[in-house]
Amino acid sequence: MATNAATQGTVFALRRQIAKIEGRLAERLEERSGEAAAESDIVLRQHGIAVPAGGLLPTGVEDLDRALGGGLPKAALTEIHGTQTRDAGAAAGFALALVSMALKQRADRAPLLWIGTAEIFREAALPYAAGLQARFGIAPEDMLLSEAPKLADALWIAEEAARLTTLSAVLLELRGNPQALDLTATRRLHRRAQAGGRPVFLLRQSAHAEPTAAPVRLIVSPAPAGLRQTAGGALARSIGPPGFSVTIGKSRTALPGQFIAEWNFDARSLQQRRPDRPSAENPLAVVSLSQRREGHAAAAGTVVALQPAGDDAAARHQPPREQYATHRRAGRAG
Amino acid sequence: MGIADARAMHPGIDIVEADPAADRQLLESLADWCDRYTPLVALDGKAGLFLDITGCVHLFGGEKRLLDDMLARFFHQGFEVRAGLASTAGAAWAAARFSGSLIVEPGQEAGLIGPLPLSALRLEPATCASLESVGLRTAGAVMAAPRAPLARRFGKLLLMRLDQALGRLEEALSPRLPVAPLSVERQLAEPVSSTADIESLVTLLAATLKVSLERREEGARMLQLQLFRVDGAVSRIAVGTSRPLREPRLVQKLFHERLAALESDIDAGYGFDLVRLSVLAAARFEMDQGDLAGGTLDRGEDIALLADRIGARLGKQAILRPVAVQSHLPERAVALLPFAEAGNPAAGLPALMAERPIRLFRHPEPLDVPATEVPEGPPLHFRWRRALYRVARAEGPERIAPEWWREGADAPVRNYFRVEDADGRRYWLYRQGLYGATQKSVPRWFMHGLFA
Repeated sequence: MATNAATQGTVFALRRQIAKIEGRLAERLEERSGEAAAESDIVLRQHGIAVPAGGLLPTGVEDLDRALGGGLPKAALTEIHGTQTRDAGAAAGFALALVSMALKQRADRAPLLWIGTAEIFREAALPYAAGLQARFGIAPEDMLLSEAPKLADALWIAEEAARLTTLSAVLLELRGNPQALDLTATRRLHRRAQAGGRPVFLLRQSAHAEPTAAPVRLIVSPAPAGLRQTAGGALARSIGPPGFSVTIGKSRTALPGQFIAEWNFDARSLQQRRPDRPSAENPLAVVSLSQRREGHAAAAGTVVALQPAGDDAAARHQPPREQYATHRRAGRAG
Repeated sequence: MGIADARAMHPGIDIVEADPAADRQLLESLADWCDRYTPLVALDGKAGLFLDITGCVHLFGGEKRLLDDMLARFFHQGFEVRAGLASTAGAAWAAARFSGSLIVEPGQEAGLIGPLPLSALRLEPATCASLESVGLRTAGAVMAAPRAPLARRFGKLLLMRLDQALGRLEEALSPRLPVAPLSVERQLAEPVSSTADIESLVTLLAATLKVSLERREEGARMLQLQLFRVDGAVSRIAVGTSRPLREPRLVQKLFHERLAALESDIDAGYGFDLVRLSVLAAARFEMDQGDLAGGTLDRGEDIALLADRIGARLGKQAILRPVAVQSHLPERAVALLPFAEAGNPAAGLPALMAERPIRLFRHPEPLDVPATEVPEGPPLHFRWRRALYRVARAEGPERIAPEWWREGADAPVRNYFRVEDADGRRYWLYRQGLYGATQKSVPRWFMHGLFA
């Protein structure tokens, strides 16, 4: 019995050491193992990397998830950088994609709080609820917007909001590299996000990398959009699902790398764009499923009887190309 | 007498220009200070105040002591004040101006006014002069004269003033400030000046207020804290709440933020000797049943509290909520309302909508478009904020007509394009007006939003 206790003590000491190396709170780890000790003595590990407390938020971009060890830490501060102010649409779009996926994970309807300074809302425009609902599934009643006159006020609001568990996510948007946003300020946000158990995104437009307490920093720049998928295949020169070029700026586990992600707003998920898969493929049907409804139609079944051999089933039911209306034809739409 | 004549007689005199606005301001600040005696304070002309002390006298130990207290405090502030106290406003007015500090017992008004000159009746100088010309030189003489000929000859105002002074006719005072339905206050023997002391006093007062609110089954939607400084200045601090509130701890939190924001604006000076907390607006308080663990089921509560605190510190425009509006114009389709005013929106956005950007500029920014492929088509290049962008792909146009019922029939229509530049940024542009519609107006281009 005594030896058992001694080995347990050694194990805890070693764990503490590991936690220190990995930059997590040792107390948190101890508490976890203390709770779990009754049943088993297993620390959850995925691909050989300890999963941070609070779980993961998989982005859906396979290579990015693999590099990050399964996804972004959920209960943490995550920095998302845009290199230029004019990239604000793309950086905000990527952050909103993550928020939308976090919202989808939650059972209850908890609102998003988007905090910004008056400066960034003047330079990069105000969030527009109609677009957020149509493209990210964030309804106006699920969103709060806070426009702070000064940076210090924005940080104060963010810190106060980060501790609330009834918000689904907090998005703090700032511009440039202000003095007040130092390691201490990010650490305060990170600790509160950990305590609150849901993500806090720090969206920094036109900023360069600085020391930060956030475990992950992603740099997002725009990438050309995919093509619209129609019944007759991809519509040439159309602007379809938005693309994001994501670079890992900081991560404890990953090497730097670049990934192209594409937001599929019907499925509310991010997908990776690959050279062999130029645009987001639609896994279910040629025509997108109805969105904004409670019950999605079941995926087209696997009934394959009477499929004509050698011919594409979908194409057979489409009129020949000559019969398309002019506006569907390849070329500049509209 | 002109200034030159006055100077000739008394070379040493000091000449100050009249400043009615400053006089008025001083009078209003005195009226603010008089709030400590009664909430019903009305201004009277250029140099007078009416205080309706009905029901307030017992708080100060009687009429005499109230009057003495007020006169002593004014004296120490450096004002020479004359006061009269009577059952009617007219009698008190006359007593203050013609007989010094005097308390008129109920029923004694006629005896007081009778021997006084006509101006004690608050009459126009012209009326006084014409009354004197017929031999009526005192108020008593007017009282003794038959009423009907007086009314016929000198108008209704004379008799109305007389009746008001004698209490035959009600006179309504119009108080400067709305009277709070509930208010609690605390007189302090030792003035306080630190913010922490004020906050703990707020908690004490709010605890008293909670009892009254509970009895009325209400919660406060708007609270005001009045701080009476020893030397007469009064600070008023108001906070609004987004849902009815009565918990002292939450009230204290809101005032904590408000006081932190106003720290530089509130000058405590020698300290505050009277602190009052009033409910300016109240609403029905819905009781929530908690679960057995003691937690409440209502999750919106702490978001509402956060919104109130942000509103208290930074103003209610700092926390907004998008609300769908029935309009097809993009900038009107979503209104951003302060959280406390947004309420529960009845109608959401329409389920099916054309492509809309995720960010929309408050004011569309003008673009310089050198060339379009075809006149009605999207631009090939555009210049925005001094940078040139090459359009790689474009979709559109989506034509959005103005709301003729608001802007008139001849307002220009907009043609919106979704464009993507060479780097993959996506924008929402529009062209205002049509080519060839009129000879004078050339279509103009604007940047309206950013896509993801």
